Amino acid sequence: MSGRIGLITRYVVLGGLGIIWLLPIYLLLANAGKLTSEYSGSELWSPGNLPALLSNVGEVFSTTDVPSGLGVTFLYATIAPLIAVILGAGIGFAVIVLKLKHGFFWFFVVFCGTVFPLQIMVIPLFASFSQIGLFDTFAGMTIVYAAVATPFSAFVMRNFFAGIAETVFEAAVVDGASAWRIFTRIYLPMSRSALVVVFILQATWVWNDLLLALVLTQSASTRPVMPLLAALQSTEGGGSAYTVVLTAALIVSIPTALLFMFTQRVFQRGLSLGQY
Amino acid sequence: MSRRSSTNYQRAAWGFLAPGVVAVVLVLHLPVLYTVFLSFTDFNGLGDPEFIGIDNYVRMFRDPAVLTSITNTLLWVVGTLVVPVGLGLVVAYLAFGLPGGAWLRVPFLVPYALSGVAVGVVFSFVLQNGGALSQALAFLNLPGSELRWLQDAPLNTFAMIIASAWQGVGVNALLFTVGLQSIPKEPLEAAKVDGAVGWRLFRFMIWPLLRPSTTIVVGLSIVNSLKTFDIVQSMTQGGPNRVSETLGVTMYRNTFLNSEYGLGAAVALFLTVITLAASIIYLRRQLTIGEPVKKAVRS
Repeated sequence: MSGRIGLITRYVVLGGLGIIWLLPIYLLLANAGKLTSEYSGSELWSPGNLPALLSNVGEVFSTTDVPSGLGVTFLYATIAPLIAVILGAGIGFAVIVLKLKHGFFWFFVVFCGTVFPLQIMVIPLFASFSQIGLFDTFAGMTIVYAAVATPFSAFVMRNFFAGIAETVFEAAVVDGASAWRIFTRIYLPMSRSALVVVFILQATWVWNDLLLALVLTQSASTRPVMPLLAALQSTEGGGSAYTVVLTAALIVSIPTALLFMFTQRVFQRGLSLGQY
Repeated sequence: MSRRSSTNYQRAAWGFLAPGVVAVVLVLHLPVLYTVFLSFTDFNGLGDPEFIGIDNYVRMFRDPAVLTSITNTLLWVVGTLVVPVGLGLVVAYLAFGLPGGAWLRVPFLVPYALSGVAVGVVFSFVLQNGGALSQALAFLNLPGSELRWLQDAPLNTFAMIIASAWQGVGVNALLFTVGLQSIPKEPLEAAKVDGAVGWRLFRFMIWPLLRPSTTIVVGLSIVNSLKTFDIVQSMTQGGPNRVSETLGVTMYRNTFLNSEYGLGAAVALFLTVITLAASIIYLRRQLTIGEPVKKAVRS
């Protein structure tokens, strides 16, 4: 009997907490679904409607920099993690499979990149990028994002390659394959699952980045969505245009939400690797 | 045999290693070193930095704004351990083994799909004066509807920790669930037969066996809470009057808004040193090629 009560208590507690947890999401949707003209500060809990939401989406796309931000952020979030995945796999391959002398030392040097807060890199990046013309450029941002994502990628790929039997490499050597061929034809295809984990986690990270974007960009053509959203919040937040800000928050979250929904298993694997 | 065939590939190995190492050293490590240097100079963004010894550090520890920021950052660390980690464990434990438990965890994962800035936007909206939370409290006749959640310190820091917890609980619950799943069944069954239930079962059986997950969750939470930036920057920008800054926000403000690059560099170095110290908790575990990690990637 007491077991039954315990069970019911667990459902009630979890269900209650779960409902509380969804309330901010409800408020986001409800108020992104209200027209600025209908918005009333005293009716924040009343539901919104779809036509108003669509009208707000139109508003975001026609009056803010969010659309161009979405485009450029999409490019950063695909190109930079792709570069990082390849660079990281190269490091893992050299250290584990090709048994580079002092390989662990070099791996450790790269790995140290995961532990520094970004705050300790941004001043010199800002100063040097300004001098060599990479400040506020697409190339500059891509380079920084790729470099920041590389240590974690190297960490995962090293661990992954360490789990592949050495005989795989030896057999390929006997067949006379070059190191490059072994890398591209055997090891990269074998490690697709790990590459995907790294890519997805880093794409999400780049998409959500605020600090690097704030420091290293200023023009509409290079500035990613998160600083744009933060700027909208500080200029429009508080008044009736809040509906448009909330809609913008909703729009910029959709890509990562979809990615998260469709790759939940991958996320779970990645999370246990120690990054979120 | 394998050793010899591999050592023949030393030159090729450099080719695979070099691009990544060069990128990381040039873009991450050199800036780190240069920031260390700048923290001992009066650099203001223009002209040549001039060496001024430890002046920035002296100024930093005398600056009330920085001291507030250090206190707030500590609040963030403690708050993050209590709320998202503690609640994450509660959610994971309550849902574990419950029919439909996986579905009951879903609401907690939804906020994880939002970025820190989006969470900031939503909670600024919810917490504004006379906003959704105040209205709800007034409607339910609960106290607190008159509180200025984001204006008064230290209330605003607590409010933002809750916002961050709202986002982080689901992930921690997920990590704890993975940990709970990996606990072997036999000793638990034996303990139950011996009459261990409820709190005793948790305290003496599950908690010790859950230790690997706890180490990771706690380590990550400490490190990430030390680096708190996005939520504060998007909700209060550290204000009003710098009362809700964290070290990450202070560094940004000193450097890029007040053009005190040397001071900003000193704050950045201070933050880095604490973060490194905290990282050691779980780094040692990550660097040994751990079995759980390998399994996690390849399953």
